[in-house]
Amino acid sequence: MATAEVHTDHLAQAHTDHLVSDEWSGGALPYHVGHKKLGMWLFIVSDALTFTALLIAYSYARYTSDQWATPFAFSPSILFSTTMTLCLLSSSFTMVMAVKASAHRNKRSARRWIGATMFGGLLFLALHLYEWNHLIGEGLRPFSLPAAWIERWPQASPLFGATFFAITGLHMFHVVTGVAYLGVISARIRKRTHEDVEISGLYWHFVDLVWMFVFPLIYIMSFDPNPSLMK
Amino acid sequence: MSTRTEGLKGAMDKQEIVLNAICLLFAAAFLFLSLSNLRWAGNFLSIDSLFMTIVFGLLALIFLINPVYWAWKRGLFESAFGAGTEADYPAEEVHFAGSTKLFFAVLTGLLALTIVEVILAYIQMSLKPMLAILIGLSLIKAAMILGYFMHLKYERMSLVFTLIPALVICICLMFILFPDSNRNRNLRTESLRAIKVEAEK
Repeated sequence: MATAEVHTDHLAQAHTDHLVSDEWSGGALPYHVGHKKLGMWLFIVSDALTFTALLIAYSYARYTSDQWATPFAFSPSILFSTTMTLCLLSSSFTMVMAVKASAHRNKRSARRWIGATMFGGLLFLALHLYEWNHLIGEGLRPFSLPAAWIERWPQASPLFGATFFAITGLHMFHVVTGVAYLGVISARIRKRTHEDVEISGLYWHFVDLVWMFVFPLIYIMSFDPNPSLMK
Repeated sequence: MSTRTEGLKGAMDKQEIVLNAICLLFAAAFLFLSLSNLRWAGNFLSIDSLFMTIVFGLLALIFLINPVYWAWKRGLFESAFGAGTEADYPAEEVHFAGSTKLFFAVLTGLLALTIVEVILAYIQMSLKPMLAILIGLSLIKAAMILGYFMHLKYERMSLVFTLIPALVICICLMFILFPDSNRNRNLRTESLRAIKVEAEK
């Protein structure tokens, strides 16, 4: 029994000296996480399912097609998307540093780190929009492929554009929302609690996490080893 | 007061034991289904059979969580194996775990895995192993982000148990569509073959 007492959480013990299960009957935080943070976690789970559904639909379309266009040459697409991955990962790191600074009650430093995070997000957006512009310039549309691609992959599914623009577009929307969210948090950081900063960090890391699946499935799987064949 | 509390405690203990017994029963049933699928499925290495085995196995694990967590809370594992010291469990007062060095190491790992993925694109490989490796690397990266950046490693296990298994099960259930994409594809090649045969006549 003595060992069990050592391992019981101190906070839980303060509430529940007499009953072990009292924690779950209201008036306490059974996950030891605030309601706001739990809400963000539940949102993240549901949003993860949204992205999963889109990626599964993409995989379905790709697997059921006779052929799928693989047009991403090293330059610019793979180079750009790798740099974008680097931007997002680094911004995740700066976000962790912001949360850490905020945990040590250093709000000025936290604001600077959040600023660096927003810079990473904006750089990601700029590169991604350039990349989109390049593809649209080549003639890619949501439901049709450029003429040069059809010549090279005659039986390719026209759904390439639809899946590409839908998945990366939804992700881009999340990045835009995240930058705005972080902007609001950093502007009002003196009135916000540490938990608020932490929750905005959770959202930002989630956007990063989704990209970890979008990048290999959309970009790496459509890598073009022989770009010279394209007319 | 004390007798009332003790009486309540006894009732709670009884409830917990009944709950754990039911959970164990369900876990055993799902484990049985999962294992018996080995015999029922004609070809074990097919998508259907693997899907059934994995889903039943996961369901069994979910039902096992409660009894195992209960046993762990009661210190049954420590007393059984004599493992675990006070130092393993950080005090509640620590507000933020993890150092700059740790986060930088995680970032370096994530970047290195990304570079590996890009290099993989250059190695001419057939689709299936390539996809498997990419998804595997992505899962490792996702786990690193979840564990260290999103701080899930330092949260209470009850939060992890609430969020992750439900997500994994839902994602697994979406795989139910893939046999149809395969059927669709075969359907087309078969009808094409039939047209060819007819043309040759």
